[in-house]
Amino acid sequence: MPNSTGKRFKPTKYIPVSTAATLLVGSTTLFFVFTCPWLTKVISPAVPLYNGLVFLFVLANFSMATFMDPGVYPRADEDEDKDDDFRAPLYKNVDIKGIQVRMKWCATCHFYRPPRCSHCSVCDNCVEDFDHHCPWVNNCIGRRNYRYFFLFLLSLSVHMIDVFTFSLIFVHHHRERLTALHTTVTLVVMCIAGLFFIPVMGLTGFHMVLVARGRTTNEQVTGKFRGGVNPFTRGCCGNVEYVLCSPLAPRYMLHPRKKPHIKIQPPFIRPDLSDRQITIKVSDNGTHSTIVSSKSKSSLVGLDDKEIQPPLPPKADRYNLKNQLTSSEESSLSGKTHPSTPAMYKYRPSFSTMPKVHYHNSREKIVRGDECKTSAILEEGVRGHDYRSEPNLDLPEYTNAPLHKTFQSSPLQLDADPVNSRSLSLKQAQRRSEKGHLPALQPQTVTSTPYKSVFSPNTLSNRNGSLSYDSLLNPSISPAAANECMAHRGMPSLGFHSPYLPTKMCHMREPEIQRQQVTTTYSPVMPVRAVGRQSPHQRDRDPSPVRYDNLSQTIMASIQERKEIEEREKRQMYHGRSQPHIYAQDSGVFDGPGGYGLPPSGCYPDGTRSRGPTPPAYSGSRDNLMGVGLVNYGQRTTVMRHGGSTMSRALRTSSTSLHTDHSSSNSSQGRATEGYRSPTHQPHSPVVPRSPSYSHHKLSYMNAMTETPLDWELQGTSPNIWTA
Amino acid sequence: MATEFHNLQELRHSASLANKVFVQRDYSEGTTCKFQTKFPTELETRIERSLFEDTVKTLNNYYAEAEKIGGQSYLEGCLACATAYLIFLCMETRYEKVLKKIAKYIQEQNEKIYAPRGLLITDPIERGMRVIEISIYEDRGSSGSSSSSSSVSGSTTR
Repeated sequence: MPNSTGKRFKPTKYIPVSTAATLLVGSTTLFFVFTCPWLTKVISPAVPLYNGLVFLFVLANFSMATFMDPGVYPRADEDEDKDDDFRAPLYKNVDIKGIQVRMKWCATCHFYRPPRCSHCSVCDNCVEDFDHHCPWVNNCIGRRNYRYFFLFLLSLSVHMIDVFTFSLIFVHHHRERLTALHTTVTLVVMCIAGLFFIPVMGLTGFHMVLVARGRTTNEQVTGKFRGGVNPFTRGCCGNVEYVLCSPLAPRYMLHPRKKPHIKIQPPFIRPDLSDRQITIKVSDNGTHSTIVSSKSKSSLVGLDDKEIQPPLPPKADRYNLKNQLTSSEESSLSGKTHPSTPAMYKYRPSFSTMPKVHYHNSREKIVRGDECKTSAILEEGVRGHDYRSEPNLDLPEYTNAPLHKTFQSSPLQLDADPVNSRSLSLKQAQRRSEKGHLPALQPQTVTSTPYKSVFSPNTLSNRNGSLSYDSLLNPSISPAAANECMAHRGMPSLGFHSPYLPTKMCHMREPEIQRQQVTTTYSPVMPVRAVGRQSPHQRDRDPSPVRYDNLSQTIMASIQERKEIEEREKRQMYHGRSQPHIYAQDSGVFDGPGGYGLPPSGCYPDGTRSRGPTPPAYSGSRDNLMGVGLVNYGQRTTVMRHGGSTMSRALRTSSTSLHTDHSSSNSSQGRATEGYRSPTHQPHSPVVPRSPSYSHHKLSYMNAMTETPLDWELQGTSPNIWTA
Repeated sequence: MATEFHNLQELRHSASLANKVFVQRDYSEGTTCKFQTKFPTELETRIERSLFEDTVKTLNNYYAEAEKIGGQSYLEGCLACATAYLIFLCMETRYEKVLKKIAKYIQEQNEKIYAPRGLLITDPIERGMRVIEISIYEDRGSSGSSSSSSSVSGSTTR
């Protein structure tokens, strides 16, 4: 039987029920016609009466089991699941009599299945107290019809025993005339009864045990309470009583009843307002507060969309929401923008305050970051992202955990970032620095300790957000970048290393980077990838602890500027930068799939170009790098298509994809990259990914870069920068 | 203002659906039908906590009464068996009777308490008894622009 999504008439599914019905009715009829007359005469008229009653009972229960609604749940309205759908976790735990029971999200019906509910794939419905789908009655057995099914089994067993016994008596008395019609027919009936006796009795016994234990077939077969306690049991007697004597449950799939009209007429009575509503803002104010915002995530998201310069307070809300948000939300967010980074570099000095801002500005990013992070992050995030606060890294860590690892593998990559940033010309650097900061910062946050160790020498590892990086890098690296990185939850922290600069570059650049502020610019994406860690942009920051409230003004300004810059760059890029900007990828990464907003790309292209395509390699997985590297080139174009970014962006994305390795952001970028192989870039990438040989990567990238016309911005920079 | 609304249509137009709150089931005592009495935060500005809790508690009591395994349910079961379940064609089960009572109660609550506050309770039976849906309406006329903003979560208007 082919699987069909629609409710097509499938005759094959009626075969078992037809067979069962035919056998039951047919055999019993034959019994009554051929055997009972003799039995009535010889034994008693009560025999057929008794058999008739039992048979009637069997039929009634069989009909009820077949035609009764088992307790089907109607599909949830879209209003109900708007908060739950793709943003919600797959499971929700609920406590039943002290025992944790898991409720699973039903993607078909759009709600969390109540306990003991299960979705029947044959009927395509969620059924309350789902027992099993019985082909012999062609119906699900659930809360409403379990009793009838159980009684059907009991009565059928009794009936079969009766028929078999009386037929045996008949045959025994007619054994010398076995070939007679009556005897033959009775023998046939006996055979049928005998044949189905074992399975039916077996099933009956099985269900008797289930009823006594208070379990459903589904629970028994899946072993839910094996070795555990069944929270639904009421004791043996209570369970039997529940099955046999409980009232008939109501039907949910009713026809819409005529509802009485209720007038909803303003003005509305309102209770006295308390100060509840104000709490959120207060908590928001820079102090990471466990925001108790009662707002739903959607509201926050809405906020994000609305506000361009998110005031600090909303952050708190965001954070709360974020937690709830799922990664899907994140990716969508990331896609949006990434943008604040470009502006960042301008305001490097103000980054100290920015980091937080960045986080918010790129609302999408921030949100994402939050989402991925757990509530823990939220709180921390709220606080801070003080760039200097390395501790924030912890939060994102768990999300980026895998990333971290990757980072380690490619220490070079980290270097690359700083290098890249440095290579950028000053003017670009400015732009980039912001970006770079971000990435740099993020890595810090994102990268877990391992990173730090890796990068400590480089300090550039802005991505890793290690403090060391901060110290080394110019403060130009905007914390925003870091924030952005963090925002990218989806992206593996790897990504944020400097999308635009291959690890090789990192090495080479390191000294430069340290010198320059540029580093910060490079890849805002990276920070984003960092998954929202708010990478401490410590560098920028002065020693005073970053407070959210302190940052707001500056951050806002910087963000705005960044955005402007990004836009400008975008325009430039569209004009034809064909440079594969791996860095771009990074920035792209932050934007999320296809989202990478131009701004980031705008920023990066400059930076990346100078550095050459940063092999995404550094994302820990060499393999990814390889692929990514190659892809990067290819992606550029695709990336551009996505975000309309220039080639540079594509590179970024590709690089980021490498880095990120597949996160949702990668998806967009990855798509781009995979599809496209820029002719200009030879697949150095295979080389690139090798983290240990970052130098190789860098070289290869550089070569690649050289092939492609450098970004206009790069023109100013000496290509020899790469050639370490 | 009352004179402006002469019929239901007008009434409906004057107040727009802003948001919906869902009161979930309380499974702490098993699968018996019981709803959480926790006061949703979205209703803080709309209705007094005590009124809401009273409503939910009353509903819970109704459902407990409907699902009670006792004398009446025994009799019903036996009678059904004896008549080969044909009794279900003529008679209403105990649960269905209680459901009618619940529907009446909800309507009464809506008319007296919730509608004047711009709220509307939907009978849980329409949602498979999984949630109590409370619709929050905003005064479109006076604060039209705020209706959407007032909703804390993205409201989907049907």
